[in-house]
Amino acid sequence: MELFLNFLASGLVIGSIYGLIAIGFAVIFKTTGVLNFAQGEVMMLVAYVSWSLATELDLPLVLLIPLVVVAAAAIGALLERIFIRPMLGEPVFAIIMVTIGLAVTLRSVIVLIWGADAAAFDVPLKGGLIEIGPVVLFTEQLFAIVLFLVVALAIFLFFRFTRIGTAMRATAQDETTALLMGVDVKRISMLAWAIAAVVSGLAGIAFAMMISRAPDMWFLGLRAFPATILGGLDAPLGSGLGGLLIGVIGDLSEGYIGQGLKEISGFVVIIVILMVRPYGLFGQRELERV
Amino acid sequence: MLTLTNVQILYDRAIEAVRDVSLQVGAGQIVALLGSNGAGKTTILKAISNVLYPEDGEVLHGEISLEGADLKRLPADEIVRRGIVHVPEGRRLFPLMTVEENLAMGGFLRDRGELSAGLDRVYGLFPRLKERRRYVAGYLSGGEQQMVAIGRALVAGPKLLMLDEPSLGLAPQIIDLIMETVVALNREQGMAILLVEQNAALALEVAHYGYIVENGRVVLDGPAERIARNEDVKEFYLGCSEGGERKNYREVKHYKRRKRWLS
Ligand SMILES: Nc1ncnc2c1ncn2[C@@H]1O[C@H](COP(=O)(O)OP(=O)(O)OP(=O)(O)O)[C@@H](O)[C@H]1O
Ligand SMILES: [Mg+2]
Repeated sequence: MELFLNFLASGLVIGSIYGLIAIGFAVIFKTTGVLNFAQGEVMMLVAYVSWSLATELDLPLVLLIPLVVVAAAAIGALLERIFIRPMLGEPVFAIIMVTIGLAVTLRSVIVLIWGADAAAFDVPLKGGLIEIGPVVLFTEQLFAIVLFLVVALAIFLFFRFTRIGTAMRATAQDETTALLMGVDVKRISMLAWAIAAVVSGLAGIAFAMMISRAPDMWFLGLRAFPATILGGLDAPLGSGLGGLLIGVIGDLSEGYIGQGLKEISGFVVIIVILMVRPYGLFGQRELERV
Repeated sequence: MLTLTNVQILYDRAIEAVRDVSLQVGAGQIVALLGSNGAGKTTILKAISNVLYPEDGEVLHGEISLEGADLKRLPADEIVRRGIVHVPEGRRLFPLMTVEENLAMGGFLRDRGELSAGLDRVYGLFPRLKERRRYVAGYLSGGEQQMVAIGRALVAGPKLLMLDEPSLGLAPQIIDLIMETVVALNREQGMAILLVEQNAALALEVAHYGYIVENGRVVLDGPAERIARNEDVKEFYLGCSEGGERKNYREVKHYKRRKRWLS
């Protein structure tokens, strides 16, 4: 039991990271219909920028986080403006190719600027080990889980209750009609990229604080992608939950069955679930009427 | 207030959906825009609202202006801000959102106070929607959906309301309700209305002025009563001959060559 709970906890930790990145995938897909294959790289860029901010300015976490949110939003919006906006009206496939190009470019740019070595992300998150019953976690690990919960709640409230969040859902359902309501659809796309950069960027920081900031962090994007498919590409919260699931299943299967299963267990789960629910666990089937 | 002069519209830089259309909607007027399938009516409304670009449509020639100000280069949200609100063909609700969320989207550009006053007004106009405010819009009946579509546009506070075939697929009582609402908005609030219809009899009954479009051209225009009295309109749009009986389809086809405005 104790072992199980510890596997579960470590699965939730990494699952929180996947979940946050998966929310980023889903926010962009839901509002613009584009799969952003550079989401992992955007996350990495935000993590690197945050690392530089943290080491240069020596800020406490409570000040660093708001600063990072602003920086990440700016990065997301800027990338959308430069790489995606000019593609407006092009086939979705072409836009997806652009995101793949963007992914490769960002990886190289990061190595060019910061070098190829990993570095510790030393943010003063003091507390060391925390015991919750039989489960033992590092403060940084608990931070990842809390971060996930806070962000998921914020995303829920944003889409459900704010005017602009409602407009984003409306745009996802019928873009032309959203235009007729006076929604500036171009700004909605930019906003989606900004939100995705913030959410996944926070995941990047949480991960870097646990391990290190390193030029192979983009790989987390690939791990989080199945989580989005699992939860439903058009369901941000579902995708987040998908992340938790993938994380937990990965750690449990590795712990109980064997090394190496972590990588493939998620994909096995996805294949099985998609056979039953092709839209993902929480994806919306298009309504037949209307 | 709204003026279109010699407007030509192309889709995909090749398909000429609207060849040469000039029309006017005066303040406080109900103007009917009539024509059969594919005549170009919807395309004209989309051009006014400036939402042709997602479909690769473009106004190639001509002017569109509101009270003298050019509208052609304004983004869609600015057109809404200036008071032109468009109820699209087929209602086009946001199907996964509730009735109230749909209505609230109409008030996207308005402040809080205006929004809640707008919602109250719509619920007063269509009490049925108040009962159904928490329903998911996609599951409403066609009539209820049309009420939401019109209500949503009203929340935006239009000076000019453009309705694209509001009677399409609705039962007679609902059509009556919608038409009465349109007339009331016009009479009581002086709202100008551009009414696109295939059901010419219905539209000419409420309109002050009418335009008939065929193959992207205005082929006839005039005060509604005069249009309704025109022999060709009677034959081809109102479906009755001079004696007032309904024509059957074969006879209409037989008379097609006689359309005077085409020759
Ligand atoms: N997105 C589009 N791309 C290409 N051609 C189009 C497009 N939309 C409409 N058309 C063409 O433009 C012409 C006018 O279409 P439009 O929808 O404006 O007609 P309408 O008068 O509204 O007809 P209806 O009464 O059937 O709604 C038609 O020939 C149609 O095939
Ligand atoms: Mg039409």
